[in-house]
Amino acid sequence: MEVLTVNRGCVLKRILVYGAGNNIPDDLKNAGWLDVLPEKLVLEEDSHAEISIFVLPGFSGNIRLTAEFAGERADLKLCGAYICTGEDRLSLDMEVRHEVPGCHSDQIFKGLAAGHSRADFFGRIIVAENAFKTEAYQANHNLLLSDTAKVDTKPQLEIYADDVKCSHGATIGRLDEEEQFYMRSRGIPLDEAALLQIMSFVSPVIGTVPDGPGKDFLVSEIEQMSRNLLNAGKTGQVD
Amino acid sequence: MHDMEKRLILKIEGLRAKAGDKEILKGIDLSINEGEIHAVMGPNGAGKSTLSAVLAGKPQFEVTEGSVTFLGRNLLEMSPEERSWAGIFLSFQYPVEIPGVSITNFMKTAVNSRRKGKGLEPLKAAEFLKLMKEKMSFVQMKPEFAKREVNVGFSGGEKKRNEIFQMAMLDPVLSILDETDSGLDVDALRIVANGVNMLHTPEKAAIVITHYQRLLDYIVPDVVHVLKDGRIVKTAGKELVARIENEGYDSI
Repeated sequence: MEVLTVNRGCVLKRILVYGAGNNIPDDLKNAGWLDVLPEKLVLEEDSHAEISIFVLPGFSGNIRLTAEFAGERADLKLCGAYICTGEDRLSLDMEVRHEVPGCHSDQIFKGLAAGHSRADFFGRIIVAENAFKTEAYQANHNLLLSDTAKVDTKPQLEIYADDVKCSHGATIGRLDEEEQFYMRSRGIPLDEAALLQIMSFVSPVIGTVPDGPGKDFLVSEIEQMSRNLLNAGKTGQVD
Repeated sequence: MHDMEKRLILKIEGLRAKAGDKEILKGIDLSINEGEIHAVMGPNGAGKSTLSAVLAGKPQFEVTEGSVTFLGRNLLEMSPEERSWAGIFLSFQYPVEIPGVSITNFMKTAVNSRRKGKGLEPLKAAEFLKLMKEKMSFVQMKPEFAKREVNVGFSGGEKKRNEIFQMAMLDPVLSILDETDSGLDVDALRIVANGVNMLHTPEKAAIVITHYQRLLDYIVPDVVHVLKDGRIVKTAGKELVARIENEGYDSI
């Protein structure tokens, strides 16, 4: 198994993009944006990891990660945005194992499913018996942009220790009509309003990418792809 | 006095509307000329907010009868965005939060969408920022305001000031203020009312929807309508406001 260890006191920051194809600029390729996740991430004492995953339309496959806290006071921020369309089949499988006390994990995953796509999210948090003072959070929110897209979300929280703070939440919804009416009443046409909503929806994940050409690339890719999705069907309007 | 004839801004005739199976507006007639401010008062559940939503084109309401003419055009055939382009503005009772979208980005999209709708080029960045700055001062918004996410974490007062700021940016012919006074302290109320008064010109008109007299102490109406159970049951001058405040809606 491929294991990536974040050594004691070290910091790991990674951005990974799936489905970017050849569009991605060379310097982002060189920065490892097209790499794949290791199967397992081990966080040693006082280490810190930030991983942001972007899945763009046209990608099908499984993306799995097991993150394990092996030393105290380590910290993990794991987030992702996925956009599925056409016949895409995506499965995201995230497992965070708190084996030792005093660690902190925070996950946020945001998904958009259009066309006939299907996205499955499995998120498992395990807090072992001795892992007191753990803080572990997970959120998975999804928007369906077509009647034929399907999202399945299975958050799982297994807590065996006392004195921990943990929460998880999962939602599947559609673009909010109140928001749309508000924007339209300001003269923003429905498709532009829907685009703003999509960008607003994924903004917590995009916000983890530092300002610069990489972020600009991602924002323009996601905007362009969302525009295509909105043009392809009346996905902004929900009856 | 020998006035020139005033331009008719809005004409509502026999308007009936429902939400789902429930009829809320049961035959409204209302005409507004340029330069006029009309107050629509009434008890809770009378249909005040429905009237404003129907005028702005909210899809959840269905107009079953009647007509609405705005500057000579059939308003009911227009989408909400087309109504905005034509010069209608609704200040929401509960402005919607849009996380991750800055006020600047939101207003740029709004202003340029309208320009596009009118066949104009997008505003240049410098011109747009100048406009933002000018209109923000109208409602005493600090420069940081432009970077904030739309209505996210705003106080009640900030939300309403943001509505009036947007109104200033979009420069409507007809402003509809839906319970703009709700949730405002006196200072915020004064700022909001000042903004509305400064934007009002002899070529424009406004509908002020409110339950209470309070806002009408600051924005003085020319005509006052009382809406009850989906109908306008009384129309009079501003003296009606004081009567309602003293005697309540039951007396009308």
